Amino acid sequence: MQIKVVMSKLGLDIHWRGALVVSRMLRDEGMEVVYLGNQFPEQIVDAAIQEGADVIGLSTLGGNHLTLGPKVVQIAREKGVDALIIMGGVIPEDDIPALKEAGIAEVFGPETRIESIADFIRSHVKNTIA
Amino acid sequence: MSNNTTNINQEKKLFDQEVIKEIKAQKERWQENTVKGKVGEGDYYSDSGIPIDLLYTPEDIKDIDYLKDIGFSGQAPYVRGVYPNMYRGRLFTVRQIAGYGTPEDTNERFKFLLKNGATGTSVVLDLPTIRGYDSDDPEGEGHVGAAGVAIDSIEDIEALYDGIPIDEISSNIVTHLPSTTVVIMAMFAAMAEKKGIPLEKLSGTNQNDFLMETAIGSSLEVLPPKASFRLQCDAIEYASQNLPRWNPVSYNGYNLREAGTTAVQEVACAIANAIATSEELIRRGNNIDDFAKRLSFFWNLFNDFFEEIAKCRASRLVWHEVMKDRFNAQHPKSHLMRFHVQTAGITLTKVEPLNNIARSAIQGLAAVLGGAQSLHVDSYDEAYSAPTEESALISIRTQQIIQTETNVVNTVDPLAGSYFVEHLTREMAQRIRDYIAEIESKGGIVSVVESGWLHREISDFAYEMQKNIENGEHKIVGLNYFPSEQSETKVEVFRYPESAERRQKEKLQKLRAKRDQAKVEAAINVLREKCHEDVNLMPYIKEAVLAYATLGEIEEVFREEFGLWQFPLA
Repeated sequence: MQIKVVMSKLGLDIHWRGALVVSRMLRDEGMEVVYLGNQFPEQIVDAAIQEGADVIGLSTLGGNHLTLGPKVVQIAREKGVDALIIMGGVIPEDDIPALKEAGIAEVFGPETRIESIADFIRSHVKNTIA
Repeated sequence: MSNNTTNINQEKKLFDQEVIKEIKAQKERWQENTVKGKVGEGDYYSDSGIPIDLLYTPEDIKDIDYLKDIGFSGQAPYVRGVYPNMYRGRLFTVRQIAGYGTPEDTNERFKFLLKNGATGTSVVLDLPTIRGYDSDDPEGEGHVGAAGVAIDSIEDIEALYDGIPIDEISSNIVTHLPSTTVVIMAMFAAMAEKKGIPLEKLSGTNQNDFLMETAIGSSLEVLPPKASFRLQCDAIEYASQNLPRWNPVSYNGYNLREAGTTAVQEVACAIANAIATSEELIRRGNNIDDFAKRLSFFWNLFNDFFEEIAKCRASRLVWHEVMKDRFNAQHPKSHLMRFHVQTAGITLTKVEPLNNIARSAIQGLAAVLGGAQSLHVDSYDEAYSAPTEESALISIRTQQIIQTETNVVNTVDPLAGSYFVEHLTREMAQRIRDYIAEIESKGGIVSVVESGWLHREISDFAYEMQKNIENGEHKIVGLNYFPSEQSETKVEVFRYPESAERRQKEKLQKLRAKRDQAKVEAAINVLREKCHEDVNLMPYIKEAVLAYATLGEIEEVFREEFGLWQFPLA
């Protein structure tokens, strides 16, 4: 079954380049990617439910990773969504442990090869082959 | 007659035709006997795709008529620079962006930078402010005072510029969107008036580019391109009538480039926007010379050193042509393309971050060789966080080294006459003209945004670039070329003041409690009505900010009256 990803800019952060490029390249890797544009945690989780997403991708450079990132995980788990939740953007190294603690599976910084994101997704999404 | 013209033209060429013939013949012999096909592997191109030869000679610029095509600084066609004496008259402004936390926090950083030699202020706003939300709006959660300063009301603008001589030094305000610009400009003008400073004395720049709202940066709620473009024009028209020393727009090639364009597209989109603005303001009954002299531009300089210098030179040429030939502008200042440069944030790496000091210095040098009016040198830690005080200081020092230790500012446009640079300048100019024509063939800059064409152009470039980085075709030192063996670089990151959101919300609550609510509502209602009339909204916005209406309240009027637009990305 094809892996399905919903990709979203987190909150108000305006920098869409990374999120869009990752979306396109994950499609090249054989995944189905729904690009949500900018959304808040509640809407992101609702979209993930609606789309039956295996993965929720969050992108931010605006400094809201610690406030809004964990919120996505929390709302997702409350609503019974067990999708893999990953994050990308400009995020200080020191904040990564707290994000992982909160349930963000992995954080991808600048200069990450997109295929390594795809590999990570493939090895962490349950019962699926892409 | 035609014979005469030809003769005169021939006389004005830089080189005698016989000499050119001889150079051409000798070059062919040189290629055959000396180079012997050893021209390097593969093809060479500039970053925007211009083929690059092994060596340039006078033959490559044989058609140039020096006086007509290049000329002198401060004279048409302004290839060599906008001012006659360039940096001898006035050095480029050292402008470092600052902005975080509350206005009080940023005011302190302003004072630090000015004490250390900055010659103007430059402020970046936080995302809720840029996107038109108050600090207590749920939409702004997590962003207040982060990546920029929070501004909610005229009181905040007063706190931001407290003790800063705004009648003596210039104030750059990175407002990004027209909707933000109209409010912040109104607050700034109202603040000055309250302080007793005549509006004529205010000098500065705000960004005010509808492409920032509708193409370059995405968001939750976006105004339709036509509405955003109208506000852009309102701010420019108001400033041309009230703030004679203010640059009410800085056409933002910079962020287009960061999002994903070539140098050619960067300049062409910005000029296409300036053309559309001029057409609209003329439709409203303004004369081109009323406002053109205050239109300014904002370029992004990457590492392709000569192409970037050629771009700066070519952009002045094309703008001059547009003003002269298309709009018949008479005032000499209307023909001057003045631009600010920021070095390219996206070229900075996270690996081995100190290498970024070298990249930024090279880009900054190109800006000065390209004749920039002001410069911001990015700090080495930008891939980690907003700059720390230490890294911001290195950026200022980089500029000062260029200004005082390299002697490059002592003579005007020092690369003029280089066969390569002149050839590249002409190539860039032609490609910029062609891309402007392509945009116009699709209905102009507003139309290519409405249709999503521009978004696709940007997205395609970014996608191809990422592929080229991953396959190693586009080389980045430390990343895919001599990949770094350093495991982890420890960089001290800048932390936004955590209490900023709370402090900002408290101030806002106090303001809402003490202001005259009826007066606010009256001003807001007038503005609401005027949104649907063919009038400039600036005076009504100014009335609203003077009544202590907040930025978020004013922008909510825009969202309600103009409606929202679906950002065309998928």
